[in-house]
Amino acid sequence: MRGKLLAAFLAGLFSFCLASTSANAQQPLIAAEAWQAYKSKFLDPGGRIIDDANGNISHSEGQGYGLLLSVLANSPADFELIWSFTRTELLLRSDGLAAWKWNPATKPHVTDINNATDGDILIAYALGLAGEQWNRPDYIKNGAGIARAILDKTVIQISGRSLLLPAAAGFSAKDRDDGPVINPSYWVFEAFPVLDQLAPSPVWAKLRTDGIAILDELRFGPKQLPSDWVSLKSPPGPATGFPAEFGYNALRIPLYLVRGGVADRALLTRLMRGTSGANGEYTTIDAVSGTVKDNLADPGYRIINHILACVVDKTVVPDDLKQFVPTHYYPSTLHLLGLSFIAAQQPECS
Amino acid sequence: MKSTFIALSAAVVAIGIVGMNKPDYIKNAMQSLSLSDAEEPVARSSRLAQQSDIGIAGANAPVFREIKRSARPVLDSVVTAATAATVDESALRYFASRGDTARLQAEISRLKALYPDWVPPKDPLAVPQNEDKQLEAMWDLYAQARYPEVRKAIAERLVSEPAWKPPADLIDRLTVAEARTRLINASDLKQYETVVRIGSETPSLLTCSEVDVLWRVAEAFFRTDKAQRATDAYSYILNNCQNAAERLATIQKAAAILPAKSVEDLLAKEKAAPDGTMEFDSIRDDLARRFVAEANADGKLVVPPQYLSRVERLAEAGGLASDALLLGWYYLPRGDMEAAEKWFRKARDKEDTASASQGLALTLIDRNDQLAAEDTMYRWRDDSKEAKAVYLAATANLLALEPPVPISGDVLKRVATEVIKSRDPSTAQQFGWYARALNQPQTALQWFRTALNWKLDDEPSAYGLAVTYLQLDDLKGLTEIQRLWAGRSERIARVGEVEEPETATRQQRLANETVLVQQQPRTTRVPQDVEDVQPEQVAVIRPRRTVAVDRGCKSTINPQTLAPEAALTRGWCLMERNRPMEAAAAFEVGMLGSSAKTREDAAYGQSLAYLRAGLSGKAAVSAVKAPQNRQRAFELQQAILADKAVAAFDGGRSREALLILDQLKQIAPERTDLLSLRGYAYLRLKRYADARRVFEALAAIGNRDGQRGLGILYQIFNDKD
Repeated sequence: MRGKLLAAFLAGLFSFCLASTSANAQQPLIAAEAWQAYKSKFLDPGGRIIDDANGNISHSEGQGYGLLLSVLANSPADFELIWSFTRTELLLRSDGLAAWKWNPATKPHVTDINNATDGDILIAYALGLAGEQWNRPDYIKNGAGIARAILDKTVIQISGRSLLLPAAAGFSAKDRDDGPVINPSYWVFEAFPVLDQLAPSPVWAKLRTDGIAILDELRFGPKQLPSDWVSLKSPPGPATGFPAEFGYNALRIPLYLVRGGVADRALLTRLMRGTSGANGEYTTIDAVSGTVKDNLADPGYRIINHILACVVDKTVVPDDLKQFVPTHYYPSTLHLLGLSFIAAQQPECS
Repeated sequence: MKSTFIALSAAVVAIGIVGMNKPDYIKNAMQSLSLSDAEEPVARSSRLAQQSDIGIAGANAPVFREIKRSARPVLDSVVTAATAATVDESALRYFASRGDTARLQAEISRLKALYPDWVPPKDPLAVPQNEDKQLEAMWDLYAQARYPEVRKAIAERLVSEPAWKPPADLIDRLTVAEARTRLINASDLKQYETVVRIGSETPSLLTCSEVDVLWRVAEAFFRTDKAQRATDAYSYILNNCQNAAERLATIQKAAAILPAKSVEDLLAKEKAAPDGTMEFDSIRDDLARRFVAEANADGKLVVPPQYLSRVERLAEAGGLASDALLLGWYYLPRGDMEAAEKWFRKARDKEDTASASQGLALTLIDRNDQLAAEDTMYRWRDDSKEAKAVYLAATANLLALEPPVPISGDVLKRVATEVIKSRDPSTAQQFGWYARALNQPQTALQWFRTALNWKLDDEPSAYGLAVTYLQLDDLKGLTEIQRLWAGRSERIARVGEVEEPETATRQQRLANETVLVQQQPRTTRVPQDVEDVQPEQVAVIRPRRTVAVDRGCKSTINPQTLAPEAALTRGWCLMERNRPMEAAAAFEVGMLGSSAKTREDAAYGQSLAYLRAGLSGKAAVSAVKAPQNRQRAFELQQAILADKAVAAFDGGRSREALLILDQLKQIAPERTDLLSLRGYAYLRLKRYADARRVFEALAAIGNRDGQRGLGILYQIFNDKD
């Protein structure tokens, strides 16, 4: 019974994603001006999304975001551009996953053939959406291939739970003393129903429920927050070799949750309280001491907790955050994802 | 549009034959196109006129096809020429609009070859541009290999102009170009399965105009354990593609990964140039070197003889040390020591390197010229771990030689220094035996102890200590070492049992019996005093017993009154009468002989005489008083050992006899008489099982000693019963 309900819910969510974008073909979820401003700053004419805070490299995550934003901005031409680059420059691995990093300064540009599972998820997800939206069987086919590779190479079952490893290699219990190590911010909840359409498997729904359950359990330090990188060797804790912090990875978790339709009030409230700065900033937090590490004033970060407040308390998002002015690749991407979420699902908050 | 496309395809098929016999200037034109821009996709065609499946089986295997060049971009606005409805001048117009005269000229040549009736425009630069500016812009991006931007432009136009259909040719070319980029990227990143997959999905890439792609696919096959398919791909190129430089590069690339046999098959596809030279001549030398080098690493590899002799010719004529070295290392593991030594010497004469010296030293060790081996390796001993190992092998062998060779003080010192520095137990142990052979038991003790310090479980060194303690009547030392080795070495436990004490007493007796006539001047002793090179700074000087007797064979004659040849004869006579000390004196005179043969015989005789007298140290000294030829030295070594063994047995020292027999067995197959000696030695030691094994083996070949031995054993066991 519960399974059926969930399936219905997921199918509904999926069709919502598509319907909301298709139906609004004339009025995309990302405004043309905002998309134009984003592109002019972060999209290279050759089709790569530039991470301007990281030496202007590109990565599979950025390409995935670029593809997703193209769909949300209803721009098939930009999607084509970014996809062509992604396919020829990153989708090279023999296992069908994408190389994670592309550096303009090196030759060959890919210096590390490893994948990053969130990048793969975002790319496959965007391909699934675009294939449906613009009736492109080739997108569906490519997306399905990546989705199958994600299942084959990065999903593991541990004590009855389905886990996403951050990459095909290097994070399992075999690879690390404190393994398996996960990155909770790689659970792009909104993608799982689409990936299930592309490569049908009960694992996708399990990833969702298990992902939420894990987030519910990961409460490190006084602020009760997960860390960017988590060792699931019992008891769970911040993984060794990474800063023990709710940092730049984890800060997108709440956004992924609400975009994915997770309405767990307690979880959302805990995350919101733990990361709200004194002056309305979004904060990164030391996962052990609970102290604030960085106060983030960028609107792309700040909008996250306002969206949570909107979902939980129906408060209105401040006007200054509704204006999109590109700053840096990462917060600006989150900003557009946040704005598109409000446009699609919480018009009352705007 | 579509009908134009089909018509053109038909035309291309029709002119396939023309394409196969392209005049040279066409080839040159095509080449200049590809040379002018490595990424030049505009000049390439995806159209297939002839398929040549080379039998690469499997549904997913790329199929290699021969390609015939066709007119390129089939645009909507094709201007039909009067004579040929399908002449496509769009590329012409494109290059004209770019002012790219080189490519323009090449395109004109190409079109003229394809359409003999076609008349090129008088002023090509004045040719009107393609009318569809947006499409022109797409081709422009395509020509610059900016494929994602072409995709974007197409998608943009489809949005703004939903009725527009992108030209199929553009889409085809774009798809192929993207696949090509992807394939090359994947190949650079060693994602070989991706390379194979893209190759199989994009057969139009697998043509002579994309030799680089073919090479990469071939390598990907090889790296994904499909060596035969890799060979097929290289074969395809050599069967179908004409570019000389690419053909040569193909062989080089194939040779870099494929086994010699496959490369040999590919080389058979070599073509002769008009002047008679063969196209792969220039790389056969390198190939031959490679094959030999590979065979060096794998002793089981067989190098086709023509390659071996090619490298030999190169080494003889060209005189590269590296070539000679290759050959040395080829012959060495195959046991052809003579050839190996020859080439190592040649290499070393050209340039003394660690490798050449190492190789040479190994051959010298093999033919038992340890002194030369040590000398060869000394300079290179610290070059590498292997060099050090070879050097120490030489030193250990040098000291183990029977009889000992003369070693200069300098050499002994440097060997000792190096052995101590390297803490090499083997050579240290041999220093011990060497000291014993020169009757310097105190020094022997030092070395055996040192060897044991470095290698706690070095049983031979412990045994050396035990027998040396016994020799020195150091029963405390002997008991201690026997205690330490109790349960670990039977022969150490038995040192000093029954027959062993004889060793000491016997020598004492002999010394008492002989008349000391004169003290041999120290300077005449050939082997440098090993006492100088003790492992520790404890010099134990023992006066050396030196003996010389002058008795006749029947009567007593001072041999010094005899001519050397006569003294030699007298020496052998005395040996037959078992009067070894007198024989030794006679041989001493024989060594003054004028002929080398006499001196050699005398030295040999004296060494046997001393051996007979139980003076192994003296025997060793004698043996080196005259140079022995290689064969003789070997025989002498055997003879000395055999004699030692017999003497030990006769002296009641069965255990020592067995030790010597073991030594002997290491340098030559055991003779039947010595085997029966071994049997009797076992018998005496009550090692009945061992004795039975030996006697049975002898009896099996009809040997009487064997039968007799078995008889004795039978009696022993029956008596017991």
